[in-house]
Amino acid sequence: MAPSDATVAVALPRSLSSRRARELMTGYLYLVPVAIALGGTIVVPILKAMHMSLFNYVLIKPQEYGFVGLGNYTRLLGDETFWLTLWNSFVWVFGSVSLQFLGGFAAALLLHQSFRGRAVVRTVTLLPWIVPGVVVALVWEWLYQPNYGVINDVLLRTGVLRDRVAWLSDPGLAMPAVIATNVWRGVPFFAIMLLAGLQAIPEDLYEAARVDGAPVTRRFWHITLPLLRPIIIVATATRVIWTFNYADLIFVMTGGGPANATQITSTYTLLMAYANLDFGYAATLSVVLLVIMLVFTVLYLRVTRGIESVT
Amino acid sequence: MDDRWALSRRQLLRTMAGAGVVAAADLAWWEEPLVRPGRAWGAQPVRFQFSVPEPKRTALVESLAQRFNQAQKDFEVKVEFVPQAQARQKLVTSIAANNPPDCCQVWDNWVGEFEGMGAVEDLTSRVRDWKHGKDVTPIAWQTVTVKGKILSFPWVVTNDGVYWRTDRAREYGITPPREDWTWDEFRAAAKAFTKLDKNQYGFGMRGQGTWAILYATEFMYANGAQVLKDGKVAVNSKEAVEGLEWYLDLFRKDKVCPPSVPTDGWRGIVEGFGRGVTNMYIHNSGSSEEQKDFVGAPNFATLPLPIGPAKKRTSFYFSETLTAFRNGKNREGAWRFMAWLMDDEPNFMYCKTLGLLPARKTLADRPEFAKDPAYAGFIRSFPFSIVSPYLAHAGWGGKLDSEGVPLFQQALVGKLTAREFLDKFADVLAKNMT
Repeated sequence: MAPSDATVAVALPRSLSSRRARELMTGYLYLVPVAIALGGTIVVPILKAMHMSLFNYVLIKPQEYGFVGLGNYTRLLGDETFWLTLWNSFVWVFGSVSLQFLGGFAAALLLHQSFRGRAVVRTVTLLPWIVPGVVVALVWEWLYQPNYGVINDVLLRTGVLRDRVAWLSDPGLAMPAVIATNVWRGVPFFAIMLLAGLQAIPEDLYEAARVDGAPVTRRFWHITLPLLRPIIIVATATRVIWTFNYADLIFVMTGGGPANATQITSTYTLLMAYANLDFGYAATLSVVLLVIMLVFTVLYLRVTRGIESVT
Repeated sequence: MDDRWALSRRQLLRTMAGAGVVAAADLAWWEEPLVRPGRAWGAQPVRFQFSVPEPKRTALVESLAQRFNQAQKDFEVKVEFVPQAQARQKLVTSIAANNPPDCCQVWDNWVGEFEGMGAVEDLTSRVRDWKHGKDVTPIAWQTVTVKGKILSFPWVVTNDGVYWRTDRAREYGITPPREDWTWDEFRAAAKAFTKLDKNQYGFGMRGQGTWAILYATEFMYANGAQVLKDGKVAVNSKEAVEGLEWYLDLFRKDKVCPPSVPTDGWRGIVEGFGRGVTNMYIHNSGSSEEQKDFVGAPNFATLPLPIGPAKKRTSFYFSETLTAFRNGKNREGAWRFMAWLMDDEPNFMYCKTLGLLPARKTLADRPEFAKDPAYAGFIRSFPFSIVSPYLAHAGWGGKLDSEGVPLFQQALVGKLTAREFLDKFADVLAKNMT
């Protein structure tokens, strides 16, 4: 048979990119707006701050503007106030987060119980978290006011104090006072997170433990705590990062004073930027803050990766 | 839209703002109808930045701008209100971004910084021909003169004096001091005024903000000290240390000040007196009108600062200025508006409403200022008032607050001695001489 009439398969022209590649390209295109937004609002400012940290950039001295290399970093190493603020930041973060966690855990365990009016109590517990930070700071500043504040008044009337205490004006008390305010504000965050975790623990486990005669402490230690571990780590790590950068409360309540007793690195950065208008040095402080937070975030990611694989 | 609503939203807002102006001040002067004048086509408006510590000022300045706009048709003045705490950085950043307002209200201690940035309009030649030029006191011109150039109008001036509770003094049998009272008498009064059982203290010392250091410096001057001597920083001299020691001891040893001193700023000392917690405090005349509302005009008086062991006393004199910028878009308009604000009626109303003193002699001599006991302490302090020594170097402006105040607070709470504080403070000043 002559092959002339037979249908001959002709290869279709191949497109330049494979289907897989096109799919990938489409996916990346969808990400472009987000990438532009994140790049423009996060990456570019970070790069700009790094660039700025290499310059002597004091806004009121434009004639002295110039490249100083690592000059600002050298200055930072010799800056006693910076090291003080770093220590203060540690006290501030550790004090705030640990007490918030303890308070939040206690509140979550209470709210997990059945009692009349539980919904109302849960809502009220959330209130400090809802109030804006600056409002919290102003309210507590008034509560702490030594001459006509409510706290001194109550403590004097009940005989707890004999003399008025300058809560925010005494260098030894100012940091505990602002930490107490931050604890008040942050307890609901932990309470709600941990309450959600508690509600997710199957009741069967407790039932089985009870049948085996495990007392409440052992049930807490061997069931509640291990099963809440992922939430505890995520909530604590998130809170540590927030608190480290959280300048509003201190800025409003004490302005970092008295005598730098409550000056943390983030408020010191604000001071350098907006009082001294020393943008070069403020950028250097920001970069150092970024590095500290990056180290912490890497540790956090390593820990949480383990948790994800477990859960 | 419902026809019954004859006012547009803009008209309604404008009417409410106008009503607010009248209600806020309760002054017949402001009760004229607000008629919006026509403007020359294409005229560049004048941007005037004003920092706003309180609603009364906002209403007053808005009213002044409207009056000016009614008085001429060439251009419009637009007021840009910014919070006082951010006024300086907003101005500096706008200068750096080459977009400053045409003119602004700033304290004299900022003008040097702006001049250092090459941003301020030199008014020297214009001021020479200005109709009220000779009526302004020479010391007021000094506050706005940098390197021989007049850079601003001294809109209002003031100096520091002592506020004194006359009713409490009568109640406690404290003899009102003579005008030439001494440190010893000051301390004795502070002790007599201190009644811990009543939560009352003799003296409301300031521990926060630039003026915390300025008030302490006034006491150092009364002991014969100086900040600069022969062009060199001399703020840590023996006289300065002794003077400061005495001043700090009012809080540290004598316990005649409230415990909140280390964090008490301007608001803290004014409210402390107003709420009856303190019975004396040092401030300029700017809080006298507030105290008339707080404690009542008959219940307080103002006095000059006490005389120190060196048989002298000093009150720092400063001004709230009107300053124009070189890169303003309507420099001629800015000049005309600023000059108008210095005219009799606007200047008188601004000063009187805010409790500050006019820089112009003819206005300061009016009975509203010269005869009011709330101003007496300040007016009597003029003979020994000097321009703040911290105006000598532009670089000192911000450093006083960011580095000087934390050091001063350390001295207040006993972490540094007066000598240690002044040595460190002298280093800060010496490093920032520009």
